[in-house]
Amino acid sequence: MKKVLMRIGCILMQILYAIGRFFKKLWKHKQGRVGLIIVGFLAILAIFAPLIAPYDPYDVTQRAAKGLLPSWEHLLGTTITTGQDIFSMLIYGTRSSLSIGLITGIVIAILGSLLGIAAGYLGGWVDTVIMRIVDVLLVIPTLPLVIVMTNVLGTSYAVIVIVFAAFGWTGLARVIRSQVMLIKNANYVKAAELAGASKWYIMWRHILPAVSNLLIMSTALTSAGIMVAEAGLSFLGLGNPEAISWGKMLADAQSSGAMLFGHWWSILAPGVGIFLSVYSFMRIGLALEEILNPRMRKGSNMIKVFKHLNNTYLDEVFASMDDDSKRRGEYQPPAANLAEVAVTDAAETKPQDPNAGPAADTTSENFEPAEKETGETA
Amino acid sequence: MKASYVIKRILLTVFIFFVVVTLCFFIPRIGVTDPASRYYPVQSAGMSDDVYEAIKEQVRIQYGLNGSTWEQYITYLGKLFSGDLGNSYQSGTPKVIDLIADRLPWTLVLSVSNLLISLVIGIIIGTMAAWKRGRWQDRALLNASTFTTALPAFFIALILSFYLGFEWEIFPAYTDQNMVPNFDWSWKAISTVAYNAALPVFAMAIGGIVSYGQSTRNSVIAVSGDEFILTAKSKGLSNNRVIYGHTLRNALLPIVTQFGMNVSGLIGGSVVIEQIFNWNGMGTLFLTANSNNDYPLMMGIMIFMSAFALVANLLTDFVYCLLDPRVTLGGR
Repeated sequence: MKKVLMRIGCILMQILYAIGRFFKKLWKHKQGRVGLIIVGFLAILAIFAPLIAPYDPYDVTQRAAKGLLPSWEHLLGTTITTGQDIFSMLIYGTRSSLSIGLITGIVIAILGSLLGIAAGYLGGWVDTVIMRIVDVLLVIPTLPLVIVMTNVLGTSYAVIVIVFAAFGWTGLARVIRSQVMLIKNANYVKAAELAGASKWYIMWRHILPAVSNLLIMSTALTSAGIMVAEAGLSFLGLGNPEAISWGKMLADAQSSGAMLFGHWWSILAPGVGIFLSVYSFMRIGLALEEILNPRMRKGSNMIKVFKHLNNTYLDEVFASMDDDSKRRGEYQPPAANLAEVAVTDAAETKPQDPNAGPAADTTSENFEPAEKETGETA
Repeated sequence: MKASYVIKRILLTVFIFFVVVTLCFFIPRIGVTDPASRYYPVQSAGMSDDVYEAIKEQVRIQYGLNGSTWEQYITYLGKLFSGDLGNSYQSGTPKVIDLIADRLPWTLVLSVSNLLISLVIGIIIGTMAAWKRGRWQDRALLNASTFTTALPAFFIALILSFYLGFEWEIFPAYTDQNMVPNFDWSWKAISTVAYNAALPVFAMAIGGIVSYGQSTRNSVIAVSGDEFILTAKSKGLSNNRVIYGHTLRNALLPIVTQFGMNVSGLIGGSVVIEQIFNWNGMGTLFLTANSNNDYPLMMGIMIFMSAFALVANLLTDFVYCLLDPRVTLGGR
């Protein structure tokens, strides 16, 4: 028991250390700082929502105050059918969006890393089974599947998080798997194998730290994706019916005829909320990708999402054709440079190395001047 | 293309389809012992248990829910083999496949025109941005992509329907589901559909245009660094010849991948947009089925969408192999 607790403590410390390092690097990155500031602002809104919101957003008894225009008393007016204060609803909506996005993102990170590492490192039938599950989940359209699941299981937050996580880990698992297949041929893994380390030990102590960078970056991006999906689900009226969420605010505004009355603010406000939360998480994710992968600094920012998708897809095409497990890992996917960075970072994370922190900082400082190259002409 | 690769790929597709069908069959039965129970009439006071059991059996047969779960599964698979997805729970129990066939063209009108518009305009814009790299055209594309990736398509659709539909009344914000009772390819019918489809297609295409534009731009920039482009330039070819004859042709490979992924999401991707504009397609059919707990219809739609995606993926892989023979060699 004590041993298990120690093990879990070690893992938690590793994760916290990695996250701390990332916050430091992020703050130095211009785009990342923008994302961090917005996320911090939204987090404050979410945590202190009852203190900030001027009215109770759940109060639907204000019959006299239905459909008010924006004024100093109601900054964004009130809803047309129930007379709820839109500004207060907007602030409370931060809670559901951020919490679902973050919690699901973390659950997906855990699931995706477990399955991705297992598939990539163990290989053989484990790999085959996991990748066939991925194939199946990738084919079924996500939104209809989620709708069916909420129909069968109910629409509480727990169900929504579980359903999004159960069907959202596939992309991350594929990316992690292709990275692991490169890392497992690295010399330090081979050395650990020769020294007689067990597979679990190698996966925990060598492979997981090596992909942790990638993991944190993907968590930010998947959280952003989940926020959009959650907004879509609650817009369709299939989210948690008791909670206040931005998607539901949009749906209410549309169904209560906000467009007919010209109440553009009641449509715009939740949209801006969705935009800010998704934008900030995306910024953080892309900034992390730039920090981790200096070669990506040339070229533009947003395209990396698509480029990322293309690379992983192609990699899958190659891998599916090459089922011979002996030959696995010989092919170098286009994102090979990510692995180099991951490998060097892993070397720095080793607890025996006292220079871990400063070494990481100098590398990130070296990247600063490259920022100016983006403006060059062809 | 090697025959063994083709056969392997097709077998895998069939296997995945089988798993999808199994999933779709068992998901609605999670935690439900008798799926037909909600359709049983109330047992009236004077009715004997035998008669009530017979009535229940009648209801089960009517909805195709008689026999054990495994028997139902085997029957379902057998029917599926002959292209029958079962009967809907709607009144009159119409065949699911007929309902789908009824709505499919409407969804395809939206998604195919969306895909073609985004592809063509995206490639043009992307090539322009790559050519004017670093200038305002390029930056505008970059900023646009920042916005469209973070804004959900349904929000763009809402804003469009608010301004273009309600405020300025240029396009219908809420389409009439019965706009063309009999589609007869006449000019009037086509123009009515196009007029009604304008807003939803535009709302979906904004994101697509920008994402295709960005992929094209990056791909073109990546290719234009290659040596054969330098050779073409040093041969004295005109700019247009270099861009369209040499650069763009080689830069389009990643676009094929993206196109393939979008094709596989062709019928499943417009659920929310159809709901906003009251469009008479598969998405609204699915949402109605959801609110009626019409599981055969929902599962039929999901199986149909998955089959479509599977076939699209298969074709994309084959097209990719034809375009880029290196893929067949397995990256060795």
